[in-house]
Amino acid sequence: MTVLSTIVRRLLSTLVTLLGVSIIIFIVLRLLPGNAVTASLGVSEGLLTHAQVAALDRYYGVGQPAVQQYFSWLHATLTGNLGVSLVSRESVSTLIGTALPVTLELAFFAMLVGVVLGVGVGMFSALHPGRWQDDLGQFVSVVGLAIPSFILGTVLVTYMSFHFHYFPSSLTFVGLFTNPWLNFQQIIFPALVLSLGIAAAILRTTRAAVLEVSNLNFARTALGKGVSRRAFIWRHLFLNALTAVVTMSGIQLGYLLGGTVIIEQIFILPGLGRLLITSINNRDFPVVQSVILIFAAGFVIVNMLVDVFYTSIDPRTRKR
Amino acid sequence: MKRIHGIRGLASVVLAASMVASFSVIVATSGSASAVAKPRAASSTFVIGSVNSVQKLDPDIITNFLDFEALGLIYNTLVQENASLKIVPDLATSWAFSNGNKTLTLQLRQGVKFDDGSTMTSADVVASLDRATATATADPSASFIGSVTNIAASGPNTVVLTMSHADVSVLEGLTTVNMAIMPAAAITAGTIATKPDGTGPFAYSANVANTSFTMTANPNYWGGAPSLSTVEIETIPTEQSISAALEAGTIQMGLLSEPTVVNTLPKSYPVQKVLSLSYRALQLQDKKGILSNVNARRAIACATNRKQILQDSVFGQGKVVGPVPLGPYASKPVSAICPTQNLKLAKTYLKAAGKPSGFSFTAITSTDLDSTSAAQAVAMQSELAQVGIKMKIQNLASNAYIQDWLGGKFQAAFAENGADPDPYVMYGRYFGKGADLGVPAGYSSKSLQSLLLAGDENSTAAGQAKDWAAVTTNLTSNAVWIWLFDSNVFAALSPTVHGFTLSPVNSTQLYSLATTTVS
Repeated sequence: MTVLSTIVRRLLSTLVTLLGVSIIIFIVLRLLPGNAVTASLGVSEGLLTHAQVAALDRYYGVGQPAVQQYFSWLHATLTGNLGVSLVSRESVSTLIGTALPVTLELAFFAMLVGVVLGVGVGMFSALHPGRWQDDLGQFVSVVGLAIPSFILGTVLVTYMSFHFHYFPSSLTFVGLFTNPWLNFQQIIFPALVLSLGIAAAILRTTRAAVLEVSNLNFARTALGKGVSRRAFIWRHLFLNALTAVVTMSGIQLGYLLGGTVIIEQIFILPGLGRLLITSINNRDFPVVQSVILIFAAGFVIVNMLVDVFYTSIDPRTRKR
Repeated sequence: MKRIHGIRGLASVVLAASMVASFSVIVATSGSASAVAKPRAASSTFVIGSVNSVQKLDPDIITNFLDFEALGLIYNTLVQENASLKIVPDLATSWAFSNGNKTLTLQLRQGVKFDDGSTMTSADVVASLDRATATATADPSASFIGSVTNIAASGPNTVVLTMSHADVSVLEGLTTVNMAIMPAAAITAGTIATKPDGTGPFAYSANVANTSFTMTANPNYWGGAPSLSTVEIETIPTEQSISAALEAGTIQMGLLSEPTVVNTLPKSYPVQKVLSLSYRALQLQDKKGILSNVNARRAIACATNRKQILQDSVFGQGKVVGPVPLGPYASKPVSAICPTQNLKLAKTYLKAAGKPSGFSFTAITSTDLDSTSAAQAVAMQSELAQVGIKMKIQNLASNAYIQDWLGGKFQAAFAENGADPDPYVMYGRYFGKGADLGVPAGYSSKSLQSLLLAGDENSTAAGQAKDWAAVTTNLTSNAVWIWLFDSNVFAALSPTVHGFTLSPVNSTQLYSLATTTVS
């Protein structure tokens, strides 16, 4: 199977998956009690006359049949129109266009730090099995997995602000190209918090994969033939362990998008996660649907890229 | 394995590089802390942190607290409530009731300019109130002036409101930002929902959805131009983060409601607190079941230790109140039958209800809407258990709660309801004749309706005091609901802020920013 056919096959299954996701999101949101009018007015809805409520229902499109709402939304989405926020009356595309770069930047930095730390410490542990270096690596991974990111984030924010009067994320968020230095300061701390869990998972996978590969016959043969240390580590151990590392990194990147929801709240980043929470609270269906679809698409696309990457790094997957 | 051990050096380099890269980032950025924090502090932007965000720009349709606070800085109303909850002039300098309290004549302030530069006239006032009362607008406060049948200008600076019946509470209804005065031209142009244009101390500048709301000083403000050139309300999703931002110096004021967060702030940060213009109550439905028995409801009222509930749910940050929590007609005592817990009397009422060993009922809460409601419910549950009353607690998501509440589909509901110094404005909508919220109120009585109407029609202070005291007695002696407490709201300030006073009134809560300075 060629790389191209893999991409085409995965693209088709991605589209089917996203269609399924859109239907599930739509149904789940409609199963929740209440509607946009209730969310918008709260108990004050009771103060309106029937005529006023009817006027608002028409305004928010509350009375339309669910199937009609779905297909009109799907049609609009496919033609690039994500609709208008029921609360702010801004276009959903604009809201997402503002929030998406923040989340992508956060995810990129978190992944970068997580992979560098995870692979680095994982290799370090695997190359010293049973020794104190290995124990240290294991300890770091357990700590990384055990501490929830929201606790670590809250502690970090509190510590920095109370002891150093430093909380750059609380300044109005600036874009990467507007003020790169301030932007870096605003992103790096939440990215570090998110990266710890990622690093821990990748660390354990790297360690296990490298240890497994180092015990295989070809590895012992390579050592016996006198391969140089650098070539042995990188060409024989690392490359053969890479498939497992890439798989874990892909999974972590998918989960990372979900993790940004909490971290963006704590670090006051105006990203997709925060937009999602706010929109859910406001029953702002057009925004919620689109944001969840983007998260789902991100997860599916990352997995697709991982599959494609397999075919590049592992020739066996091309022969199936 | 010997060779593997031999490559330790390379692995160490990888690890060291990772660690150094991470820590260098932290050290480098931490080192610039002051350099980053200073630009905002040194600029003339006054930043307020709030967990909420401004959602709507049209003052006639807003319902959440922050919208009132923000738009209350941009718009004025004809009259407003001061910190003592007394009605004082705003855009109307004087007013008078006539024709048996069926006509209200207001004299307008002269020389007032809107943000667009035009001068306010009586035509703008008529257009504004017409818009607020129009069905299509769906103004949630329209019912407060529902008795008004005609709004007319009488000269350029006089407006006359004609009511269908004697209704002095109309004046109170005019204090909310939902009755803001806006230019007739902007109403005609349809720009109100996108570009606020008022006469207040600040003018609208920008709104970034869910992120920030920015205003600039109105140089033409009739009360004198504010010294703060720009005010920004920044949405900070958690109160802990607001506290951190205050410590970091990136905001100058934090609007808080959690006493636990307030308590963690250093003493150097002044915290102002006022009782909020709302109250917590356990609403009871008396239409069917055991709660239709007045003595069963009285037993609940007497078994309840309000002070303990206040302590358990908001750490004592508030005040035990009766039906009218604040203002000149505040309920004293808070209950006609059991101002404090009285278990003996509770048992007597249980016997009278035919349930000497107690009974059970279910109360709904929504921690989405009121984070303290679960703590209130748990505290009350243990108190009622002392006399054999079993209260089951059902916590609902916000919209589920709202739907059940609006439909009266509950036995009992822990609620946080808006308060008003005028008892008719508070309870006319629940217990008055044809009340809008009669279903969730769960109780109706002709004697109560008569008392409310008498108070509404009475324009003398002494007469009203007597009428409203009778309403409190009627509500609490029948244990219509169990009124619990009013909690504090907080504004934590940077030590550099001077001249700010937090008001209990939502529409004017931040109004003293007009005279606030930053050193």
